Amino acid sequence: VIAFVNAAIWGVVVPPFQVPDEIAHFAYAQYLAETGKLPPHGRGAEYSPQEKTALEHLFFFSEQGHRNMRGILTGAEDRGLRVALAKEPSPVGQGGSTSATNQPPLYYALEAVPYWLSPSHDILTRLALMRLLSALMAAGTVLAVFLFLRELLPASPWSWTVGALAVAFQPTFDDIAAGVQGDNLLFLAAALSFFLLLRSYRRGLTMRRAIGIGAITATGLLAKLTFVALVPGIAIALLLLTWRALPQGRRAALTALAAAAAAAAVPVGLYALLNVVLWHRGGPIAGGIADVTHSRLSAHHVVTFAQTLNYIWQLYLPRLWFMHPTYFSGYPLWRTWLNGSIGHFGYLDYSFPGWVYTYGRYLLYGLVALTVTGLVHVRRGLRPMLPIFACFGMMAAGLLGAIGYAGIRYRLSTGHPFEQARYLFPLLALYALFLILAARGAGRKWAPAIGAALVLLAMAHGLFAETLTISRYYG
Amino acid sequence: VRVRVVLGIGLLLVAGALVAEMSRAAPRTAGSDHTSMVAFSASVPGGGRLCQIAPRLSPEASSAQVAIGTFGRQVPALTLRFFGAADSEVGAGHRPAGGREGLVTIPLARRSAAEDATSVCLLVGGKTAVRLAGERGSIGGSSEVVNGQRQGGRISILYLRPGKQSWWDLLGVVDHRFGLGKTSLFGDWTLLAAALGMLSLWLAAIRLLAHELK
Repeated sequence: VIAFVNAAIWGVVVPPFQVPDEIAHFAYAQYLAETGKLPPHGRGAEYSPQEKTALEHLFFFSEQGHRNMRGILTGAEDRGLRVALAKEPSPVGQGGSTSATNQPPLYYALEAVPYWLSPSHDILTRLALMRLLSALMAAGTVLAVFLFLRELLPASPWSWTVGALAVAFQPTFDDIAAGVQGDNLLFLAAALSFFLLLRSYRRGLTMRRAIGIGAITATGLLAKLTFVALVPGIAIALLLLTWRALPQGRRAALTALAAAAAAAAVPVGLYALLNVVLWHRGGPIAGGIADVTHSRLSAHHVVTFAQTLNYIWQLYLPRLWFMHPTYFSGYPLWRTWLNGSIGHFGYLDYSFPGWVYTYGRYLLYGLVALTVTGLVHVRRGLRPMLPIFACFGMMAAGLLGAIGYAGIRYRLSTGHPFEQARYLFPLLALYALFLILAARGAGRKWAPAIGAALVLLAMAHGLFAETLTISRYYG
Repeated sequence: VRVRVVLGIGLLLVAGALVAEMSRAAPRTAGSDHTSMVAFSASVPGGGRLCQIAPRLSPEASSAQVAIGTFGRQVPALTLRFFGAADSEVGAGHRPAGGREGLVTIPLARRSAAEDATSVCLLVGGKTAVRLAGERGSIGGSSEVVNGQRQGGRISILYLRPGKQSWWDLLGVVDHRFGLGKTSLFGDWTLLAAALGMLSLWLAAIRLLAHELK
């Protein structure tokens, strides 16, 4: 409830369409809701006349990306917006290609429900209701993190609350939860995957759990293409779970594995088939990630495996002396991942003052040291979990690799950076665990107090991110 | 006890920081002409005049800002004049020559509170050309006109409220702005409701922590 209300408040604070890429995600959902079809992903207009009218009269295009610009600030401007929308521009667009149209449809199909249920046909009312569904998904993610920690640390109830609340108040997470954004279902599916895999590891792979893992995998794959990066790790985890279940019954274990695979593959296969035969979206995966990242790379420009590896290394680790070229002017671990997690909001156009990021780094040093100590403290309890954590590591490595793979192609294709801190948020369950281990690093006696301090810090972080957001758009 | 002490001290620190942040006085925006500063979009010769359609002159504005490039020379005298529907002057401002290029502020005086501006002209003193930041674009009805010649693009004009204000001073204004440009279900009550929601949320979270972390 706390996570839902917090995300819903964020949804009220952030002005319409100012959540990253919300204009594209809304356009997809509106097209689907209005036509019952997926956007054809062609050269037609990206937004419906109704959305275009709203964006123009909200002064969206001059405000987006420009920190000193504001949207509507006066009653007269607000009346201008209402008058323009009262002319009832069509809500049916052409489904032209945007950064979201190559994505699978599950999130947008779910968002079509509040769109239809809205008592008003006003686009802004519909958007507000759709944002509530995103807030609900964010709350689901927090719940999944809570369940993950409960499964992992059953003897430390304090840790479940601390980890879940720390995620609930993470402001970059809430900035996404505030809007119509496909990432919200991706984060939920990823957090549930971690929970279900861990539960199955601890309690055994039953038919129900296997189908649950398969269904969540399908949900993730039909939510956002990024989820593909987690699939190899999930697959290895499933094999591990099956192997552990073999002594209890070979047939039952293999049947459960087959059920998981079927639950994952059938909906995804159906989607791929429909993409080709019914929706004509240019292939089984509608262009896939490549369509967004490197469709503009010339045909003869091949990004080699070595270049990709080099880029991925530099994206997360210090560059080594033999690595050429240098892809980043600064160190992405700080600039992109840490500072981005602390907060680069909206269309990355407003941030905290510089000192916040400096102290954030010092805090991270302290937390890492505490986490290492915490790991030493709980090593006995965690040792039996090493195999499943190796699978979680593969899921994380898959995600990091996929971000780098897409990143180098996007950068060479457009000249712009691709990576944003939110791309790591499918790993929120591990982030919560990191904080719990840090609290545990202070010793058993002090762990709950440090946990409380970390949650309070997260809440303050969220609060000041909201005041920053209010000053950005209304001050 | 440790958890309660941590929560108590933490809450005091957060409340103190919030009050300090709210009390910080600074120049505050009164809006803009909704043209962003993407590039230099106009070149105006010394003694020249640039005019463009003004979406409106914000009633809260006491000064205007434009971004100017002078090729390293001193900024020339700048005069802004806002005109209403019947070409009557509804507001004006002047800044004497001096200072360095960049974002320059021109104090404004509004002559007519009743009538809104429909166009704005910037008169550039001196003898050398300056560049002004805004958005480039194709020539159209809303494009800038330099010395009678229509050019592609518009310059950006930002408006500022009088003096420096704290967030406490601005609370009523922010409350009003917060309800604009959103679903018509929202209004002036929305910011207060969001603030009360946040307060309840904090109380619930603190209570939960105090209970679960015994």
